Amino acid sequence: MEVTYCSDPGKGLEPALRSTASSASVEGVLLLSTPDPAVRSPDFESVLAAVETPVFGGIFPELVYEGERRKQGALIVGLPSEPVVTTVPSLGDDAAAFGEALDASLPAAGYETAFVFVDAHASGIESFVDSLFRTYSVELNFLGGGAGTLEADDEPCLFTDEGVVGDAAVVAAIPESMGIGVKHGWQEVAGPFRVTEAEGSTLHTLDGESALSVYSDVVDDATGTTVNRENFFETAKSYPFGQTRMDGEQIVRDPFSVDAEGAIDCFGELPEGEFLTVLEGDPDSLVAATRTAAADAQAGVDSPAGIVCFDCISRVLYLESAFDRELAALTADELPAVGALTIGEIANDGTGHLDYYNKTAVVGAIESP
Amino acid sequence: MTDRQQRIQALYEIALSIGPKESLEATADAALSGYLKKLNCSVGAIFQRLPHGADTDYPIVASIPASPGTNETLAAAREEFPAAGTTHREFVDRLPIAGETADGSHYYILELPEFGVLALGKRGGEIDRLTRSALAPLNEKLAEACRSQLIETQLRTERNRFEAVFDAIPEPVANTVVEDGVERVTRVNRPFEETFGHSEGAARGRPIGELVAPPADHPRADGDGNSGAGPTEIRRETADGVGEFLFRRVPVDADDGEYIHLYVDITAQKRRQQQFERYERLVENLPIGVYRTTPGPEGEFRLVNQGLVDILEGSSKTDLEKLSVTDIYVDPTERKQFSDQLLEQGSVEGVELQLQTVDGNPIWCEVSGIAVEEVGETVFELALQDITERKERQQQLAVLNRVLRHNLRNGLNVIRGNAALLADGVDGELQSHVTAIEDRIDSLEQLSQKAGTVRSLFDQGREVNSRCDLAELLSEVADDFAERHPEATLSVDEVDPVHVRADVRLKLAVLELLDNAVVHNDKPVPTVSISVSDSESKPGDGWVDVSITDNGPGIPEDERRAIETGEETPLQHGTGLGLWLVYWTVSLLGGDISIADVPSGTQIVLTLPRALETTRVQPPNADS
Repeated sequence: MEVTYCSDPGKGLEPALRSTASSASVEGVLLLSTPDPAVRSPDFESVLAAVETPVFGGIFPELVYEGERRKQGALIVGLPSEPVVTTVPSLGDDAAAFGEALDASLPAAGYETAFVFVDAHASGIESFVDSLFRTYSVELNFLGGGAGTLEADDEPCLFTDEGVVGDAAVVAAIPESMGIGVKHGWQEVAGPFRVTEAEGSTLHTLDGESALSVYSDVVDDATGTTVNRENFFETAKSYPFGQTRMDGEQIVRDPFSVDAEGAIDCFGELPEGEFLTVLEGDPDSLVAATRTAAADAQAGVDSPAGIVCFDCISRVLYLESAFDRELAALTADELPAVGALTIGEIANDGTGHLDYYNKTAVVGAIESP
Repeated sequence: MTDRQQRIQALYEIALSIGPKESLEATADAALSGYLKKLNCSVGAIFQRLPHGADTDYPIVASIPASPGTNETLAAAREEFPAAGTTHREFVDRLPIAGETADGSHYYILELPEFGVLALGKRGGEIDRLTRSALAPLNEKLAEACRSQLIETQLRTERNRFEAVFDAIPEPVANTVVEDGVERVTRVNRPFEETFGHSEGAARGRPIGELVAPPADHPRADGDGNSGAGPTEIRRETADGVGEFLFRRVPVDADDGEYIHLYVDITAQKRRQQQFERYERLVENLPIGVYRTTPGPEGEFRLVNQGLVDILEGSSKTDLEKLSVTDIYVDPTERKQFSDQLLEQGSVEGVELQLQTVDGNPIWCEVSGIAVEEVGETVFELALQDITERKERQQQLAVLNRVLRHNLRNGLNVIRGNAALLADGVDGELQSHVTAIEDRIDSLEQLSQKAGTVRSLFDQGREVNSRCDLAELLSEVADDFAERHPEATLSVDEVDPVHVRADVRLKLAVLELLDNAVVHNDKPVPTVSISVSDSESKPGDGWVDVSITDNGPGIPEDERRAIETGEETPLQHGTGLGLWLVYWTVSLLGGDISIADVPSGTQIVLTLPRALETTRVQPPNADS
């Protein structure tokens, strides 16, 4: 895989894209970018259209390159095979039948891996992920995450064969196999609590009581800190919710705000009747989990040629300076590693259910050609 | 959280995904998704168990992935299913089945009691035995949800069928439910809305008795129709008035108090029936015979009315129908001739036949009828009129006419001869007596001639198939008048081209009126005028008035009244046949005659029908 980092997309992205696309060994381009004005300009559509090979990817809060976080620039990853790029529009349309947009015959045609990026601020992400699993099950390995910015500016954030789009998802299938590791390292600290009232991703009550009240009691016990609306985001980044599943890590649901009635908003849906636990982490467990994910990914292929990772931006917010250790865990073994810090992650490891995660590190190891 | 807690929690959350959805497929799909998510499985499918002849089929109801054809784990699970010809029971007894594929995936086949099986596949791990055992109650719940959905689907299908039939029925139908003792409408179809004038929205929830009520002048006379017995005839108010219905109240679910009210509109049928009954009464009471027979020399009576029984002096219709048709013919050969004629021509009109009553008394009848095909056979539908009296009167008239024309004329000739001899032998005052005798003879001869004319009038009957140009007719009449009455004056107004339905008899009538106007005139110079105009007494576009006005003394009151009433009595009669000749002529031509006094004298108006353009023209003097 050919990787080019362009620190100033306004100047160097277009020639770098052309250069990579024109390479004899490149049949497709994965483009990961920070929210640079150059890629958000209307003119960038024509730049994408002029590229000879299929281009897909997204705009993310930050990038990962050469073991470092990159708050500016763009990564151009040349792929050795031509990807089949599918754009799924109207992710926020409740009545949309996403499965109809997906080509179920891809596994039979020899495709083994698919990059998946979604507009992180669109509703319907989990419905779309469910459609992916219903269509492909584990016949394809998936790796990707939520694109966009933390500012929730509703700008188009996905690069697809149809240009730069929002409220959508892009799926790019490649024939190469990929080992995938998914871990988060968060540990259960309290629960389970039954979701007695919820609406989409808004949690109203747990065990019949105000969600904030229950959550606050747990955090008080753990930290001695009283959670309120003002300090909620700062506190909650360390105490996400977890959804239990058999034979696997809990699925993390990241709370980010609370309203006056004590209802908590999370990334990801919280079905009524199911159970939640409250999780806590420490830098060591999170970094260890990332290391495990990277190892799992490499173990999934015979000869890894490179690493593609998508790590949750909220892990950066939690780990702060310790995130360097996480990056080191991701990029060990001298393999070229690229990736992005995402708003929610999508992956399966080829064994179980495909889910939409929060606060999780997903790592893919691409098999050598 | 311990493994046990985790298991219980996962199973509980799977249970949340099990429940009836909008269809069997959706029910199975939601549950399967729950199983896979909470058990972290990679593939799964729900199969329905369907007997198929001696074998059992397992079609897929839901699967993940949606197209499972190439999935190796599910394919391996399907290998465990009973092959054609193997014992299905053996497969069921082996459940639950756990297996492993070559690539290390595990699959599990679990019984869904009385519905089918659930197959789950997992890569890179197993579902432990405890969890598999703990799934049993969930599997039962899933099976029950699927069975319920199947039943619901069947019920929905039945309901849809019912609704389709409900809407397709062309008669008014209402669906009702008894609640708190009141039967209220839940649905009505469009014919109900149109017939009773209540839209479904307005009808829903209201008592059926309010919507379909007896007419105000007929309250509950036919009951409320809710007995639940067989169909009953009822009268009910409708959007257009009052209708007659054949009503039936059918219980859909008597336990739940649900009923279907069906109103077959028989208003038109009842009206036709009443009309038929009136017609039947009319036919029964007609003074003519109306009957049906089979063709042939013998013929059978199929249907007779009371009129025929009376004419043939039978005792009853039943007895008459037992007779052969030929029995009522005096000459049986005439029956065959009549039958042959009717079969050949298809219809006959006014055929005079000499028949006989049941007791053998001869009668004359006039028969008209048609031959019709009915249920594969030919039958005659006939009307018979007893014309015995008319025939006898015709005989009398023929004899009297002979007497009047021949015997009287012969006698007059003898008298005239003798009067001539007598005139040669007498003179003076006696000669005046002889002259009186000769004048009277002339008068009687004219009377005899007119009697002959009258007979010829009737010989032609009422059938008029020609039209007459009035201008031409009046021109000829004027010429004749000038020749016959040079002492008198006739003026004919200018006549626009107009044709009337008439033949040469009209000229005869007009000339008779002109003769009368001159002969009975007491003025030194008799004056007569003729004018033609649109009728004043009848619609002018169909009728024409021919007015003849004289300056004479007028028509004697008795004679005039006899003409106007069409009847003579011993005290009310005329002096001759002249006016009667005119009256009969106009009558036979389909017209009217009216007499009026005018300042100058008398005016007689002949009102005649205009002729159709297609009728042939007959010259006024065609037979003169």
